[in-house]
Amino acid sequence: MFQALVDGILLGGVYGVIATGLSLVFGVLGVVNFAHAEFLMLGMYVAWFAWRWLGLDPMLGSVLSFIVVFAVGYLVQRTLIERVLKAPPAAQVFLTVGLLIVIENAALMAFGSEFRSVSVPYQVEGYRLGDIFIGAPYLYAFIAAIILAAVLWLYLERSWTGRAIRAVAQDPMASTLVGVDTRRTYALAFGLGVALTAFGGAVILPYITVSPTVGGQFVVLMFTVVVLGGLGSVAGALAGGIVVGVVQSMSTLVFPIQLQNLCLFVIFIAVLALRPQGLIKGA
Amino acid sequence: MGALLEADAICVTFGGLRAVDGVSFTVNAGEIIGLIGPNGAGKTTIFNALVGLQPLTSGFVRLGGERVSGLKPHRVAQKGMTKTFQNAALFPDMSVVENVTTAALLRHDLHGARTKAEAVLEKLGLNGIAQADVADLTFPQKALVEMARALATEPRVLLLDEVMAALTHSEMDEVMEVIRGLRAEGLSFLVVEHHMRAIMALCDKLLAVNFGRLLAHGTPAEVAANPQVIEAYLGHGAVGKEAAHA
Amino acid sequence: MRSFLSPGRVALLLFFLAAALLPFFVDPRGHLLRVAAMVLLFAAMAQSWNVVGGLANQISLGHAGFFGLGAYTSTLLFLKLGISPWFGLFAGALVAGSAAALLSIPTFRLKGHYFALATLAFAEVMRVIANSWASLTGGPVGLSIPFMGSQPAYFAFRAVSSYYWIILALLVLVCLVFHLLATGAIGYRLRAVRENENAAEVAGIDTFRVKLTASVISAALTAVCGTVFAQFTFYFDPDSIFALASISVRMAMIAIVGGLGTLAGPILGALFLIPLEEVANALLSSKAAGLSQFAFGVILIAAILIQPRGLMAYWPKKRHPAGSRGA
Ligand SMILES: Nc1ncnc2c1ncn2[C@@H]1O[C@H](COP(=O)(O)OP(=O)(O)OP(=O)(O)O)[C@@H](O)[C@H]1O
Ligand SMILES: [Mg+2]
Repeated sequence: MFQALVDGILLGGVYGVIATGLSLVFGVLGVVNFAHAEFLMLGMYVAWFAWRWLGLDPMLGSVLSFIVVFAVGYLVQRTLIERVLKAPPAAQVFLTVGLLIVIENAALMAFGSEFRSVSVPYQVEGYRLGDIFIGAPYLYAFIAAIILAAVLWLYLERSWTGRAIRAVAQDPMASTLVGVDTRRTYALAFGLGVALTAFGGAVILPYITVSPTVGGQFVVLMFTVVVLGGLGSVAGALAGGIVVGVVQSMSTLVFPIQLQNLCLFVIFIAVLALRPQGLIKGA
Repeated sequence: MGALLEADAICVTFGGLRAVDGVSFTVNAGEIIGLIGPNGAGKTTIFNALVGLQPLTSGFVRLGGERVSGLKPHRVAQKGMTKTFQNAALFPDMSVVENVTTAALLRHDLHGARTKAEAVLEKLGLNGIAQADVADLTFPQKALVEMARALATEPRVLLLDEVMAALTHSEMDEVMEVIRGLRAEGLSFLVVEHHMRAIMALCDKLLAVNFGRLLAHGTPAEVAANPQVIEAYLGHGAVGKEAAHA
Repeated sequence: MRSFLSPGRVALLLFFLAAALLPFFVDPRGHLLRVAAMVLLFAAMAQSWNVVGGLANQISLGHAGFFGLGAYTSTLLFLKLGISPWFGLFAGALVAGSAAALLSIPTFRLKGHYFALATLAFAEVMRVIANSWASLTGGPVGLSIPFMGSQPAYFAFRAVSSYYWIILALLVLVCLVFHLLATGAIGYRLRAVRENENAAEVAGIDTFRVKLTASVISAALTAVCGTVFAQFTFYFDPDSIFALASISVRMAMIAIVGGLGTLAGPILGALFLIPLEEVANALLSSKAAGLSQFAFGVILIAAILIQPRGLMAYWPKKRHPAGSRGA
């Protein structure tokens, strides 16, 4: 029981960071990025290759994932998303779904369909606290996630660009008037959003294998977290991540594994239905 | 038998704002009651609360002695009360007659609804534009089509939210004639209007609201002479607006 | 009133007639007839989607969920209990219709992104459950329908043309349902709801019921397509039947490209897109796995960028009973 709680929190912290990226994108651009989970997959591949070719531990490789995917995201925003910012929702939906299909199949062509995993020395290690066993990969991923979340918070609060991002999220028109380059800021925000998610993908590599379709596992999860926290709310996404992590690991105690995802889905739909206003909060 | 429509201490709050604050009144069968008040007084919100578009924070609405507060708007329409929208909310992808037919479906099958729609358009003198696209209508025409659509639901009480806003005097007289004719058939009206001339000529009684509260009620002459009402209008500089229209 | 034989309807009837005669002119066992059957099946799927996507303007990305429910219900009933897929077809429609009704309760207020998100999540969850509940569904391996020769009572035929005609009949049925909905009382109500929900309520329309009706009918028709697909292809697995790209998105895209909310749209869209994909597949699939899907995604993105207001610019501009718009 207590064990499940701890497992859930460790898992949930990472979910939080993964979903924070999605929430940031929505909060600033007002676009629901259906392709978001694909950037998680890209982050995992970058970390995997960094491990394979450079011998980098995924915890360090995650920084590389962050940088590479940030660049990809920046370009995607400038070349594609930017053009549909003012289009009707359906156009945005289909553009990002198209992106999802393109990225997933590009990965399939480039990397093949096989599952790839890393082996690191701490993979099966762990720490004991009384009755509770804490797996080292889970703990490290959690710590990395928390560090990144803290850095993000500082960045949004303190740096000029961070403030510009928040300003644009609140009022793009006014931000333009005070000299913020909104197009650049949008691209930064999108890049940052997907990079955060990619980072989250990299740090879980020691316990989750990567394949071109890995994004599919995270789509519902990611949106559940974000919807729980209120689409567009970064702090909400972190909290939502922990909640989802705990629910998921607790539900293993009660439900057979098949029904776990159903459980998440029920939460997701319930939140959508009961707190629709929570979705738009902070947008 | 009590009143046809009865609002009993209705309240609506938006966050901290009390847009409607304990308003009570009654409308009897065949009455035309005016609802006046400066901009933002809460008139439209009262209408929305009556028809079920806006949930009440507290209070009750009864229609023909039966409680309708808490029902969805289509149920309220079925029981016999509907409204027009201040900024005409017609279905833009439909023709005029289709707009009206859609509402007539409440009490008729498709064939009957078409017949009903044509009859209503005829009554309002709109048969000339029955096939027109609503996008091509002028603002006064839109307001009349709104009214036709509401009438097609065959209400007992019809709430009109500024249908005469953009009309010329002669057009206004025509609409008032239609309203009086319908009243003669037993229909009751609650009318929001900024044109004092129309209000004074049309209404049996007036309700004056400001800041969501009922300031005064009585005959048009009584309410117009009420110092609080004058104050409310003067305070908002709305008297000039009335004068300009009158 | 329009005359019964408007040019659009004549064209549509001619199309159905030509389609019915096609098997007499091509190799009845050949690949071409299979492709033609797929065109008709996807037209029927897109038309089913069109009931919700076009008439109610709710962009569903989860119709693969209903499609798969249809396929799984009839196939499992047959494999586990020996029940004829003809019955399974109705059972699947019932299951999918019920699922749609349940899903409507929490989602009926949602619009745009949120509706798309909720429906997408629904199909994803179906996929995950089908993958993990192996004792019932066979898991990731999928289900195969054994070859039984010709047993019409069990929806099994030797000739491709038999399936082809069944699929054509299905398309005619779905188009008929769509036409009745679009031009009937519910068509008026659906358009009203799509254009202004508050005004529709005040005009006496039960917006929830109208949307519920549309989504249940849409889901049930989609499930029937799923059963027919399963019988036609003999094999499916969770990832292919509940697929976002190749089922849900494709259904929507066919309807949108052909003309959202119109009777002829899904047929035009399928006639255009499915052969195009078939050619792309033939040219590309030998090159690399994923290439044709990749091309599909690129086409989708390009279509939206070429039409910067999005695919929705294909929205029919003027009112018209959906039945009489150009076929
Ligand atoms: N949906 C809403 N959310 C929050 N506040 C609202 C909402 N609708 C109305 N209000 C506020 O409630 C008050 C009453 O508005 P209402 O539209 O009822 O006034 P009105 O008397 O109809 O004015 P007008 O003559 O301009 O039509 C106003 O202060 C308005 O800003
Ligand atoms: Mg008003």
